[in-house]
Amino acid sequence: MGKIVTLKIDDKEVKTEEGMTILEAAKQAGVEIPTLCYHEGLDPYGACRICSVEIEKRGRSRIVAACCYPAEEGLKVITRSPRIDKIRKTIIQLAAVTAGEDVAGEMRALASEYNADLSRFRSRVPMEPIKCILCGLCVRRCIEANWDSAIGFEGRGVNRRVVLFPEKAGICSTCNYCYVVCPTGRISSAYGPDPPFPFIDDVLAGRK
Amino acid sequence: MKVMSPEELEKFRRGLLARRKHKRVIAVCVGTGCVALRAQKVAEAIKDDVKKHGLEGRIEVRKTGCLGLCELGPMLIIYPDEIPYFRVKPEDASEIISKTIMKRKLVERLLYKDTITGETVSKIKEIPFYKYQLRLLLENNAKIDPRKIEDYIAIGGYSALAKAMFELTPEQVIEEVKESNLRGRGGGGFPTGRKWETCRNALGKPKYAIVNCSEGDPAAFKDRALMEANPHAILEGLIIGMYAMEVSNGFVYVRNEYPLAAEHMELAVKQAEKMGFLGEDIMGSGLSFRVEVHRGAGMFVSGESTALMSGIEGKTGEPRPKYIHTAVRGLYEKPTDLNNVETWMNIPLIISNGAGWFKSIGTEGSKGTKVFSLVGKVNNVGLVEVPMGTTLRDVVYNVGGGVQNDERLKAVQVGGPGGGFVPEEMLNVPVDFDEMVKAGTSMVLGSVVVLDEDTCIVDLTRYFADFLSEESCGKCIPCREGLRVLLKVLNDVYEGKGKEEDIEMIDDIAEIMKEASLCALGSTVVNPVLTSLKYFRDDYEAHIKLKRCPAKVCKKLRGENQKWGRSLP
Amino acid sequence: MLRRTRLDRELKSKLSIEKKPVKLLGIAGIVNKVIKDYQYDKGMLIQILLRLQRNFGWLPREMLSEVSKQLGLPLSQVYQAATFYKAFSLAPRGRHLIRVCMGTSCKVRGAPVILDRAQRLLGIERDETTPDLKFTLETVKCMGCSALGPVVVIDRDYYGSVKPADLEKILSKYE
Repeated sequence: MGKIVTLKIDDKEVKTEEGMTILEAAKQAGVEIPTLCYHEGLDPYGACRICSVEIEKRGRSRIVAACCYPAEEGLKVITRSPRIDKIRKTIIQLAAVTAGEDVAGEMRALASEYNADLSRFRSRVPMEPIKCILCGLCVRRCIEANWDSAIGFEGRGVNRRVVLFPEKAGICSTCNYCYVVCPTGRISSAYGPDPPFPFIDDVLAGRK
Repeated sequence: MKVMSPEELEKFRRGLLARRKHKRVIAVCVGTGCVALRAQKVAEAIKDDVKKHGLEGRIEVRKTGCLGLCELGPMLIIYPDEIPYFRVKPEDASEIISKTIMKRKLVERLLYKDTITGETVSKIKEIPFYKYQLRLLLENNAKIDPRKIEDYIAIGGYSALAKAMFELTPEQVIEEVKESNLRGRGGGGFPTGRKWETCRNALGKPKYAIVNCSEGDPAAFKDRALMEANPHAILEGLIIGMYAMEVSNGFVYVRNEYPLAAEHMELAVKQAEKMGFLGEDIMGSGLSFRVEVHRGAGMFVSGESTALMSGIEGKTGEPRPKYIHTAVRGLYEKPTDLNNVETWMNIPLIISNGAGWFKSIGTEGSKGTKVFSLVGKVNNVGLVEVPMGTTLRDVVYNVGGGVQNDERLKAVQVGGPGGGFVPEEMLNVPVDFDEMVKAGTSMVLGSVVVLDEDTCIVDLTRYFADFLSEESCGKCIPCREGLRVLLKVLNDVYEGKGKEEDIEMIDDIAEIMKEASLCALGSTVVNPVLTSLKYFRDDYEAHIKLKRCPAKVCKKLRGENQKWGRSLP
Repeated sequence: MLRRTRLDRELKSKLSIEKKPVKLLGIAGIVNKVIKDYQYDKGMLIQILLRLQRNFGWLPREMLSEVSKQLGLPLSQVYQAATFYKAFSLAPRGRHLIRVCMGTSCKVRGAPVILDRAQRLLGIERDETTPDLKFTLETVKCMGCSALGPVVVIDRDYYGSVKPADLEKILSKYE
């Protein structure tokens, strides 16, 4: 049992254990903060930034990711506001550049809630959509469940992709954890993503 | 031989100085910059000639690190006369030896010539480039061969460490650093003493200390130059810090592109171990310190503190959410102090000369000096060190000798890809952590790039966006996708395909990246874009509305059909 | 100039960019020697890969699998590290590495024209290798010789103040 701290989330007073994140504290208090790359069983990743909330500390306000920021005594948290909504809307619109407009799951739900125009940035940067926002949930879940994963990240920056390691595909026979966590519908069934993620060799060859 | 007490160190030092008393020294710069101009051959030629005349007993030829005026390299300085020669070729060696060394006559054509008066200058301190600097950290470069620990000890090296370990308690060392107001030289300018105190007081063992030499700014080479030229000074600072914070394991992280700096540092660590400044029972104190050198593998973002620590842990160098300061939870979740190369180098000086001395240099908010590379379209390109508070105008015109070919100055770009543009009207801003931010741009950090009317701001901003789109780790959506869109828009503007809404789109993206990115790369990446829009909006509008490039740089807008630069995925 | 240990020399002698089947070269043995040298420390993954890259010239698939197996790390983590960093090449590189500096100072002094010319002379884009495996063309950001911009480095030779017309002559010096 750690020390108990009191913070304010949307004008609600919340008492929680020190070391818990804002996201966990909010859940305790019944306040929903949307997420895309977060999963209870995995370490927070901080990649999607959808859980961005506004905090006020010692008179200064800033935007932080609720899934990572630790609860502190006297913290003031705002989870919905015009500023936050605009941030979330822009993030979804940006994610759509790579993912495309034809997304399902959690991302589709958020897009309609925040009134996101999925074509706003996508129309400026036309590219082959991959229905994936690189949230890493499938990769992290696979490693956590199987230790040595069949899928992983490849590359960096704007060239980052999820790829499949054919020699490890044997792991896939009974596990369907990645299907359960994918927020865009890329992994569309318990049999895995359809179309499958590119094989690592193809990606490397195609690059050269 | 192992030094087992401060007294033994002093005795050793006195012995060294006695043996060096009557020698004249020719210090030849073989830093990476001069080596590219065949400086190694120059040094060898001079050595051979000294041998030929049988003068080895009286002349020492010393291969040093960067001596500063890179524009006129290869350069060498003859001590104690302080005569500098520039643009030296191997063929000049015999003339230098026969005239200047043996007959005390100057070789006129190798001297510095004042661009306006035409007069030659025969003393290094009288050259304008050097006169307007305050080379506290750099002046020792000429006095030491970085591969010889004896040179460093001869000029007083490791006496600050002896003083810290035997005359001060760790808390007193931290107090001294706090009192000096030293601020981090590699990033946000956080007060170093406070960081050390936080680390010392944080719970968790073992603690770690790191030297950050990952210098990702594509125009900066100050950390490389400092580490190549004087690795022991950095090491001494690191060990003092390790003593103060009770850290037993230190790391030096050197980017992959600096093999010579890494090599010199690895050699320095070995030599320090041999002499007893590292390892067990340092100088008979009973304390033990270990230092390891880690090389990077080629990523700019890995210079961010959490990414760097990830890299040392063996994971991919991606940043992690940093809401708990790394001084409290860093490497392996333990308290870790990370400082820039330049910051560490200031420590021995502060301990030796006192916080009061350090505070007497600089401005109210920024004490000490700043080292940076002065490059671009400026006359005197080189490695520069000025006291805080020097205006950019003085840097460009006094130290730099003005714009090349007498062109008009358009702007100065400071701080690399996370920095900003400073237009001509704002040039009186002083080099100072707070003043520069207040003025609407960013701190100098590692580089000052001088731009004339032939530089297109849109093109340069696009260059930064391109650089960053490759260097971003790609983990978080705002930065990765934001850069993708930003690059496309800037490319379009560059090619004359810009649209009216583009400026608004750039603003929107910049805002989200600034607010919601995972790490400082994402949030500072927008600085060049925002400052360029703020001060050079006309350039953008000319590209978009009139399809014209005012600097006549952007090829598509000149009607030529050459295409270069990255094509988008 | 680099400090060469016995291990490095042994690895270097196995350097192969010819078309020998990779298996014949005893990849598992090579990897084991390096990992042992770093005491099987998982934290040294990057340093281990750097050593292998430096001495073997590139990192074939089999090598990465071996590193994953022998070091006890998930294959995806080894791959992520290998594809994340610029220092690593997962395809054979040319005998000579050409690096054109595209740092801010060199860029302002005309480096892009040099890159363009090099690309046209060699018939490849940046980050590619010529079909005869002679040259690999890369860009770097600031080698630290800004006074000499534009700068081109081939293997360990530095060329400063390069003009597009000089390139052909410079390249012809290399076998």
